Amino acid sequence: MLAPSILGFAVFLIAPIVIVVLLSFYDWNLLSDPEFIGLENYRELAGDERALQSIGNTFYYVLLNIPAQTVLALLLALALNAKIKARNAFRVIYVLPWMAMPVALGVIWRWVFDPQFGALNRFLDLFGIDGAAWLTDSTWAMPVIASVNVWQYTGYTMLFFLAGLQAIPAQLYEAADVDGASPLHRFFTITLPLLRPAMLFVLITSVIGSFQVFDTIHVMTAGGPAGSTATLNYQIYLESFTQRNAGYASMLAVVLFAIIALITLAQAAFFRKRTTYDFS
Amino acid sequence: MNKTRTAALAALALALPAGLAACGGDDDGPVTLRYAFWDDNQRPALEAMIKAFNEEHPDIEVELEQNPWEDYWAGLDSQFAAEEAPDVFWNHVSRFPTYASNGVLLPITDDIEADGVDPSIYPENLYNSWQYEDEQYGLPKDWDSIALVYRLDALEAAGIDPATVNDLEWNPVDGGTYVEFLRKLTVDGNGNNALSPDFDPENVVQYGTAMSSNTGQTDWWNYAVQNGCSLQTEPWGDYAIDAPECVEAIQFTADLYNKWHVAVPAESTNQPNGGVPGDYVVPGQAATTLDGSWMLSFYRDGLEPGSWAVADNPSGPVGSGTVINGLSNAIYAGTEHPDEAWELVKFLGSEEAQSIATGMGSVWPGISSLNQGFADYWAGEGIDVTGFQTAAEGTTTGYPLSMNDAAFGTAAMDEFNQVWLGQKDAQAAAEAVVAIANAE
Repeated sequence: MLAPSILGFAVFLIAPIVIVVLLSFYDWNLLSDPEFIGLENYRELAGDERALQSIGNTFYYVLLNIPAQTVLALLLALALNAKIKARNAFRVIYVLPWMAMPVALGVIWRWVFDPQFGALNRFLDLFGIDGAAWLTDSTWAMPVIASVNVWQYTGYTMLFFLAGLQAIPAQLYEAADVDGASPLHRFFTITLPLLRPAMLFVLITSVIGSFQVFDTIHVMTAGGPAGSTATLNYQIYLESFTQRNAGYASMLAVVLFAIIALITLAQAAFFRKRTTYDFS
Repeated sequence: MNKTRTAALAALALALPAGLAACGGDDDGPVTLRYAFWDDNQRPALEAMIKAFNEEHPDIEVELEQNPWEDYWAGLDSQFAAEEAPDVFWNHVSRFPTYASNGVLLPITDDIEADGVDPSIYPENLYNSWQYEDEQYGLPKDWDSIALVYRLDALEAAGIDPATVNDLEWNPVDGGTYVEFLRKLTVDGNGNNALSPDFDPENVVQYGTAMSSNTGQTDWWNYAVQNGCSLQTEPWGDYAIDAPECVEAIQFTADLYNKWHVAVPAESTNQPNGGVPGDYVVPGQAATTLDGSWMLSFYRDGLEPGSWAVADNPSGPVGSGTVINGLSNAIYAGTEHPDEAWELVKFLGSEEAQSIATGMGSVWPGISSLNQGFADYWAGEGIDVTGFQTAAEGTTTGYPLSMNDAAFGTAAMDEFNQVWLGQKDAQAAAEAVVAIANAE
């Protein structure tokens, strides 16, 4: 019974990973046979400003993306967990951006942010505000991309918090009410601690996801201006498919994997001792 | 969250099952060929040519595979890596050297000889540009050049006589009659043109020109050639765009954006994600542009007949000129159907096929004798396209040829995008590009 899924796992996950690690020791232009060069790709990384910049860009993006997205998703979940009218309709609306194609959304957002003819700057014009050249100004481009992705994934993240909130037994809140706890007090002593399983899942998956951001960047800025939105994942694409340095790109992929693995292990270690799964 | 795997992983996953090459013998059953191209404007002509091909070869089915230019080469490269490339595909001179030297193209020298294809029907330089180490790797599909495309209504509103457009001149000092022409055509929301002291560059409703290019071909290369810049020391040589005459032309291009305010701002047009020139000319946001002959049908389909026209490029300090180029149909070296693929390439290179394309006004043909047919088609549409033929003469040069085209292309887009935005000095950008492009 397990055989088909193990086969799929091996062919589509294990084998590519092994190949990428192997290729990181080769020089390969995609067109002719790879040539073994040992650690040369790794040595080159130290002097490659663009690659180092892309690692910095990646952390910058993750820092812009994760806190905003997590806090917003939690607030939305709290709001939509309360008994309000049309609650289900709101839940669907907030998840819609996640259901849409990121590439199509990226194209639409690019129109919105067009400095000359875009909706945003036309709107700002009404109030006499001179909008920036959002996607071609290296100060703005990354925050704009991060906010588009926050908008796109907050609803999806909210779903996990909602599920987590509904798993918290109501009698805990009733007991807190009897003791006269304030709403804020209840949030920090009951809700937040008991949301840790959801928090662990959300943080691990969304941090991995933001380290791998690609499509929004590809459609909206293609890594520009001057490499300011080229994340490590995007740099891998550029090296491999516009510069035909597939071996070097594989080395970058190994580096990205190492960074993500370290951060994920750290998160897991942090939460392991602080998480309760048993609410009874 | 973001569902993307790393692009490298995806390509390698594709590469994995490669090598499962089909072994069956060549029986005469129906065969399907994959034919890859990028230009949406040319799809109708391709479909018409394939229909004609199928009248002679009903047992060869041709499937069109289309990818836009920005994605075409990355897709093709990964298909080569996976040994799953299309049997026949459009090739571009900028990629040809790398492809030919890495053995992904099928030589057709023997087929040409065996089937008696006459190379003299093609212009010699077009035919020879697909040769590498004594082998021929494609038959010319077309040629292209750049000329000035403009809206007649914009000229009329500015009081400019269309007869004067063929004789515009520019210089790097005061811009010359060309910049004056563009300033007259750049109009702000209050109806002031860019020559007026009251002109408001922050509130322009119609720009004089629109420029954008993935390579330089439809923006600064024109001015570079007109200023005596040769882009390379020689074909196959080093890039030489840091020479004074090149930097001057790059600076002139930047001036059109930032000094004269006559071009649609680079914030909107910078590639790879900005608009193409036609995107601004068709809705009237720009009055003129220097655009490629392959875009003619885009203007035909977007603008009313009689509302636009083609003129000669402006002249710079050393004369008028631009960069000409051509495409070929090439065969993938790993094709399972080399005979059928050759039949298709031979047909696409024939007078019969190319006269179908010229008859639809698609592109200038690879076969010299059909040029008139193309010009006739456009004369029938009320458009005089001789500006493109004039552009193919004079100081015009061929497309730069280099194994480092990819490095040059990426570096140039990166650096010059900043120059167009007014964030970087032309000299520094040109030096940075040369340093990267000549590195290997």
